[in-house]
Amino acid sequence: MGQGMGRPGLNRRHFLAAAGGLTVAGSFGFAGLGTGADALASGADTRVSYWNLFSGGDGYNMIAMLDSFRRDNPGIDVEDSTLQWGSPFYTKLAMAAAGNRAPDLGVMHLGRVTGFSPGRLLDPWDPVLLAKYGVREEDFNPELWKRAVIDGKLYALPLDIHVQLCFYRKDVLKKAGLLGEDGRIVPVTSTEEWFDVLKEARKATAKGRQTIGLWHNDQNFQWWFFVAFYTQLGGTWFNDARTDVTFDTDKAVQVLEFLRKHVADGYADPSFGGNAGAEQFVNGAPFAWEGNWSVPVFDAAKLDYGATPLPPVFGRRATHAESHSFVLPHQAGRGGATNEGAHRLAAYVVQHARQWAAGGHIPAHTPTLSTAAYRKLRPQNEYVSAMDHQATEPKVWFAGSTGILAQRVGPVVVSSTTGSAKPGAAARRMRSTLAELLAMKNPMDGRTAAQGGATA
Amino acid sequence: MTATSAETIVRPSRATTAADSAGVRRRQGFQHGGWFVAPFLALFALFVVWPLLRGLYLSFTDANISGDSAHFVGLDNYREALKDPLMWDALGHSAYFTLLVVPCITVLALLLAMLAHHIERGKWLWRLCFFLPFLLPSTVAANLWQWLFNPGTGMINHVFGLDTPWLTDKSYAMLAVVITTLWWTVGFSFLLYLAALQGIPAHLYEAAKLDGANAWHRILHITLPMLRNITGLVVALQILASLQVFDQAVVMQDFGPGPENSTRTFVQYTLEQGFTSYRVGYASAISIIFFVLIAAVALARMWLLRNREEGGR
Amino acid sequence: MTTAAPPVRTRPRRGWTPGQIVLTLLGTAVSALFLAPLAWALFTSLKSETEAVEVPTHWLPHDWTGQAWTALFETGNITNWFVNSLVVSVCVTTIVLLVAALAGYGFARTEFRGKGVLMGVVMAGLMVSPAVLGVPLFTTVQQMGMVDTYWGMILPQCAPAAMVYILYKFFQGIPRELEEAAFIDGAGRWRVFFTIIVPLSRPSLAAVGIFTFISSWNNFLWPYMVTNNPDLMTMPNGIATVMNSYGIQWAQLMAGGLMAGLPLIVVFVFFQRQIVAGVAHTGLAGQ
Repeated sequence: MGQGMGRPGLNRRHFLAAAGGLTVAGSFGFAGLGTGADALASGADTRVSYWNLFSGGDGYNMIAMLDSFRRDNPGIDVEDSTLQWGSPFYTKLAMAAAGNRAPDLGVMHLGRVTGFSPGRLLDPWDPVLLAKYGVREEDFNPELWKRAVIDGKLYALPLDIHVQLCFYRKDVLKKAGLLGEDGRIVPVTSTEEWFDVLKEARKATAKGRQTIGLWHNDQNFQWWFFVAFYTQLGGTWFNDARTDVTFDTDKAVQVLEFLRKHVADGYADPSFGGNAGAEQFVNGAPFAWEGNWSVPVFDAAKLDYGATPLPPVFGRRATHAESHSFVLPHQAGRGGATNEGAHRLAAYVVQHARQWAAGGHIPAHTPTLSTAAYRKLRPQNEYVSAMDHQATEPKVWFAGSTGILAQRVGPVVVSSTTGSAKPGAAARRMRSTLAELLAMKNPMDGRTAAQGGATA
Repeated sequence: MTATSAETIVRPSRATTAADSAGVRRRQGFQHGGWFVAPFLALFALFVVWPLLRGLYLSFTDANISGDSAHFVGLDNYREALKDPLMWDALGHSAYFTLLVVPCITVLALLLAMLAHHIERGKWLWRLCFFLPFLLPSTVAANLWQWLFNPGTGMINHVFGLDTPWLTDKSYAMLAVVITTLWWTVGFSFLLYLAALQGIPAHLYEAAKLDGANAWHRILHITLPMLRNITGLVVALQILASLQVFDQAVVMQDFGPGPENSTRTFVQYTLEQGFTSYRVGYASAISIIFFVLIAAVALARMWLLRNREEGGR
Repeated sequence: MTTAAPPVRTRPRRGWTPGQIVLTLLGTAVSALFLAPLAWALFTSLKSETEAVEVPTHWLPHDWTGQAWTALFETGNITNWFVNSLVVSVCVTTIVLLVAALAGYGFARTEFRGKGVLMGVVMAGLMVSPAVLGVPLFTTVQQMGMVDTYWGMILPQCAPAAMVYILYKFFQGIPRELEEAAFIDGAGRWRVFFTIIVPLSRPSLAAVGIFTFISSWNNFLWPYMVTNNPDLMTMPNGIATVMNSYGIQWAQLMAGGLMAGLPLIVVFVFFQRQIVAGVAHTGLAGQ
């Protein structure tokens, strides 16, 4: 192309050659330095790299808390990164720790800590440093603290408890006559009552909106809902020695049939899976079962809504709960000012969790719960009781948010809810999967759950 | 037309190879030949051969992600793999994807190429339009189609007046990945076909015209037979690429396995085993199984090609 | 680029026959279908986040806003990713051109012990890719301490057997007489390679370079496996694993996607002829 253009072409070619040469030289220079482009710009004394998985409203709140930490601690440069939530995050964190390129501070679901090879991929917290920055064990829910201690060492610093909730639109429920005098949804104590409520609500719902969004085809949500209702029935998973599966398929069938009925009877529209459930809720659907992290989303949409723990349709109250916590990913040379900065940052955020509560989470730091400011938060004050009725996954190495257990069993629950498998068959498959997992060795230490494969 | 010349460039004349003038070559080449290939071979040994051997070794161990000492477990991993329903499931999804993509892309690429070839005006424009998506990173293409298929706000359902749960129903999820892939990669095969079409000598058509063959006959009896080789190439390249599908499927399902695991591909399952479940040994074993499979496909193609060449002579 | 063979028009342009009109209309329709998703991305990126998810969906923004684009540059590390992508792609392309050209020439025109076997091994290497052997490749790079480094991203992309094969076939086609004349003048192998072979093979090298650059710029799988630190991520990886984490911010996601695609699209518009030749050339070489 170049030829035939005479001198200008030649000049242009010279220019292109020079620019190309510079680019190549610059690229190799960068690669030689081996650092990210960002590192060139930084000049603070202590740099704390911090990875989290908080998106949406949580992301904004976390950034706001980090900003206030930065204001209070100008000597520490917090470099925060948000990664894709769920198993990709754990993949990245594990690979970074294994490759000795871990960040100074990370966030993890408490249920995942046991399976994340404490001691190998995680470093323990330094109690002296934590105490120095004001963290005291007695300020935390004892159940949570206990789950964070492994082999006598603290591997996770709990930040919150988050639960699955039943969100409802007060405007629609009022029209349907389903609001009590206190402005909250009428109490529901059985599956019959619950479906009556849905039936009434459907009549008051605008055209083109489903009655309830319950992530019918999401393996995580369906699994969480299953855990909640199965716990309501008093179901168990394994014996204490972790040698036998005690999973009750009859109870499981009850739960699966209950979940299925929402879709089968048309309360949940199969074409509004995933995020569309929340979008439908914003656009006028009366119910949505969502995590408490949807609170800021619905607040931002200026809806008149309430939120209760999942209805106790099987008698006992229980709703699925997990917990975010801070961890120290393994670094070969952990220590010094950076490590102290990580302790300082985590301690600060845990104790300044009121902002975090705006994201719908229940702070793990109990003094925050008793402040007047927290008690005034709505709808948080409607579901804070959920903390006392937690349904959690069994404590084994393969459990925890988006862990192997959820990955294996979640799709089975979904297959039943969407109707591609019969509840009975699904329950049997869940049981056999649980048996397989129980026999499986934890790849990190070669022991099964019964042999104490990294159990708390 | 440009491509025609390119094609002739890569087809070396066999004559020169045969007529090696040995004297000069021996004297000059022997001392230095090794140094020419050394840099490449070093990289090749480090990042292709060594991982392959290492993978083979790891597949007989219970190694985990930490890189700590592993134990020898014999054939346990392979035994487990053959009985692992999830692995077969994932293999099935990759195969299903391949079965859908390969014929569709081949036919579509051919039709587009014939269209672009026969329109006399604005050739560069058609080429640009059909090839453009191929220039996007896979993740961008996947994000874009995830947005187009998004339940509720998706443009596809809106435009076609549908109510299809593209990304959230197991009967559609893989289909959505296939459609995305068609849009994204058809441009590559399209270019190959276009280059081949431009390489068909015009005199063949002129002669056929004189014989009174209509357009349809000319396509059937000249164009298609002349495109036989290139079709073999397109199909082979597509099969190998499609079996290794990963990017689009994971991005469109937010790195999950899709509704009821319906879009979990083989590559994804390998990485899940290695990096999410930390079972590097087991992941290596199924990688080796996959490697054997890919190699079998590649060898089958070479064998077919050789047979055809011999048959042709 | 001197390759571009003179475009010989075999037939004079025949004007607007009915057939041409139908074909042109068809072409326009299909093109519109191909471009529509990109247009949709562009329009989405010019909406506010709330307007983007409004039901019912509409094509054009009611309120045009560059908010997603400014937010992209203010909050994200998109500029970092851009630089990283450039660094990685440029390094990969340079190294591949260098080592593949040398190796292709070595295999085509020199003699050394074990050449046949080595050539066979390299050809077998065509079947190995990060998709097939990702986990062992990762552990190898992990052992070398190159996880989360530029070199960890770059070097494993620098051993493409296919490119060696393409150049090997090309070098085989260069007439020997040219080299022999130079040898007689007393030139050594290396000088012959750089002063005679390289200038002759510019079209082929350009094709290999272009193809390598495109695949490296767009490569997702390997950078995804080997980088965890968001500062070091390349464009496709950052967009998929970090930007996605903001979930429903479609306008920003589309803006980011266009940012990632734009450089190659712009380059393509300017160098269409060379790129088309390059892709077709490398592709056809597999024949």
